Formats: sequence, C-alpha cells, structure tokens
Amino acid sequence: MTTVFIIGLFLAFFLDGSISQMFSGVFYSYPNSMVPYLTMLWLILTLYFVDFKKLHIELWAAIIGFLFDMYYTGILGIYLFAFPLVVYICRKIYNALPQNFLSGFLVYFLGITILVGLGYFANDFIGLTNTSVSVFLVNILAPTLAINLIFFLIFYFPIDSLYMSRRR
Amino acid sequence: MQKFFSNRKLVIVIVCLIIAFGMMTASVSLRNRRNTPFIVQQFGNDIVGFADRIVATPMNGIHGGFVSIQNLLNTYQENQQLKSKVDQLAQTQARDQVLTQENTQLKRQLNIGNTLTGYQKVNAAVITRTPSSWASQIIINKGSSAGVQKNMPVVAGPGLIGTVVEVNKTNSKVVLISNTAENSNRFAIQILTSSSVVNGIVSSYDSSSNSIVMGNITSKANIKVGDKVTTSGLGGVIPKGIYVGQVSQVTSDDYGLTKKVNIKPAADLNDIEAVTVAVKG
Repeated sequence: MTTVFIIGLFLAFFLDGSISQMFSGVFYSYPNSMVPYLTMLWLILTLYFVDFKKLHIELWAAIIGFLFDMYYTGILGIYLFAFPLVVYICRKIYNALPQNFLSGFLVYFLGITILVGLGYFANDFIGLTNTSVSVFLVNILAPTLAINLIFFLIFYFPIDSLYMSRRR
Repeated sequence: MQKFFSNRKLVIVIVCLIIAFGMMTASVSLRNRRNTPFIVQQFGNDIVGFADRIVATPMNGIHGGFVSIQNLLNTYQENQQLKSKVDQLAQTQARDQVLTQENTQLKRQLNIGNTLTGYQKVNAAVITRTPSSWASQIIINKGSSAGVQKNMPVVAGPGLIGTVVEVNKTNSKVVLISNTAENSNRFAIQILTSSSVVNGIVSSYDSSSNSIVMGNITSKANIKVGDKVTTSGLGGVIPKGIYVGQVSQVTSDDYGLTKKVNIKPAADLNDIEAVTVAVKG
C-alpha cells in the first residue's frame, strides 16, 4: 500500500510539470491561468480511501512540498508548509462529514482554494507578483478550481478502485 | 498569557509561519546574490531532475506526436508560403557569409579578438514547466557541467525567450520574458531603426498585449512599427545581436516626456520544446 502511495505521489508530482509544459498554450494563455495540482489530488484521495493511521500523510505532504519548492519554483518554504496544512484541514473536515463522493468533492474544493490562496499571499509577500485580489479571484483561482475539479471527477473512481484492489 | 502559550497548536503554527517567511525571504535574496544554489539544493535538484526525465520524456513524446499531426495538416499552406521566402533567404545567406568573412578579415587586420557578438551555443531540451501562476519558468536539461551560467540568454526558434535564473549540475531553470515579477527581465536591448540604433532596457512585460515593454526612451530617432529589436550586448553576460522581436507599438509615456515601445517577441512562449543557451565566448 505504501509503495503504491509513494510511486503515485512522485508520478503526480512530475505530471504536474509535464502537463503544464504540454498544455502551456491552453493553461497559461492570457488572462486566465490554470494550474494542475495533481500532487494535492493524490494526497487528498489517499486520505479519503486509505486508513491514514499507518501512513504519515502530513509528513509525506511536507516532503513532496519541499521537493515542489526546490525543483519547480526555487523559492523554499511555500508548499513545504502549505501542503501539510491543507492535508490536515481536509482530514479534519472530511472526518466530520458523512464520507461519500459529494463531501469529498466539497472538501477538495475547499482544499484547493486554501492552497492557491496561500500560494498567492506568500508570493505577494515576497514581491514575486503584483496581481490584485480581484484579478486573482477571477482569472487565477476560478480557472484553477475548474481544472482541478475536472481532474477530481476523472480520477476519483479509478484511484478508489486502485486502492480497493490493493487492499485485498 | 500563560494560557496563550500553553496552546501547543498555536505555538506550532506561529513557529511554522516564522520559519516559512524566513525561508522564503532567504531563498529570494540568496537567489539574487549567489551564482549557484547551495550544494545540497543543487544535488537534490539534480536527482529530482533525473527522475523527472523518466516521466517527462514519454509525455513530451506524446505531445510531439500531436504536434506533428497538426503540422501535417498545415503542410500545404505552409509550403506555399515558405516557397516564396526561400529565394530571398538564399540571397541573404550568401550575403551574410560574405559579410562574416569580411568581418573576420577586418578583425584580424585590426587585431581584435572576440567582440560582443561572439557566442557559442549549447542546445538543451525542455524537461518541464513550473506549475505556478506566478512564475513563468521552464526547466531545461543542461546545467553547469555543460557550461551554462546564471543570467545567460536562452533562445528558442526565432528569438530570445528568457534568461537562466538558477543553475544546477545537470539542469537549470529559465525565467521566460513573460514573467511579470519585478525582479526579472532587465536585459539590455537595441532597436535597429532605418537610420540609427536606439539602446535601452526592457522595463516590463505587458501580458494583455503579449509584448515586451521598453520604456524611458528619450532618443529623437524615428522608431517605426516593424523595426527589428536585438540584444545590445551591453552590461553583462548577454551577447550582442540575439534577435528579440519586432516593434509593435510606439506610444509616449504618461507624462509625454519619453517614448514607450511595445515589442512583440519573435518566439512563441507557450510552445517551447528545445532551446539554445547562448554562452558568451
């Protein structure tokens, strides 16, 4: 189970970059910007389907967040803390809700919003962006949410059955 | 106060926040000052970059397949257009050769070695792109072991696309000219007008019109739409004569004292597969 999780985690991590590169004309064309967060999707879906007590998922989120910072952006300290925080929040909320597809969808929606928002405030703080809040909400947050929820719809059931088959 | 600090979670959150902001500011300032990142970071990036190739190579292959099919559909039209340009090109090339020869001869006579135009090329493939709305960055598969250094210009197809911002042993990060952060894109360029040359610096990127902005031009020269823009080779590691793009708009600035020129980049910044790093010789 752990092996599947780790392989999937790194696969999702690299796919984030590859998909951005392949579809850069579609994803980053002015004025919208859609960022795929498959790594986050993998972490949260694992949270939904796997008994997380055996798996230190926040720790893995921090490790992959650190790699994300180091390899993709070169600015350390943003996703290193944002990934585990989002995973923690999502876990708390998901456990308080009835566990089904719809609540999973809503929690994921919330998680991506927090993640993108944290990224925005961190980049704003260190002066790497001067995007206004309204532009951020309309042209960055909304398209990013859209693309990630589509990915959620596509991958929810395949990953569910993948973990189900490994459990037996 | 006692109760405040006994709350363990709050303390953890605050400590994490302080560490996070400390790390962010430290890495931004280190990135501006150092030529290469720390050895640990470099080593980590090299390993991750190596693993990334296992995923990125097939993905880029699939993408390449789609692009080829698309190209195949456009072939006839393109062929017609290109045919008309080929005759011209042969002429220009011949003239270019003669001029280069003449140039080297004259240089030899005057005992001049390398001037600002001399550079060698290092070819590299794009591994991946940073999945982020804030940084237009790509990661290429050549690093310091191939002679790449920080701030070197990167060319794709017809023109300049960006500069190297971080160098590891076997891969490096390239910031595209479409990056809108305040601390990028400050390279020296020149506009070749019909009568004279206008020097200047890139001041920002205008994402709504997809063009580079060169501000604060006080020159009286008559800059026209369609004038060619190249790097000027002044100040730093960027060699002279790398094609950037064409002037697309000339306006005066807000106070009417200086001119502002919008430049359409020659390269398509959203479809980059292979790049060339110009290493100054």
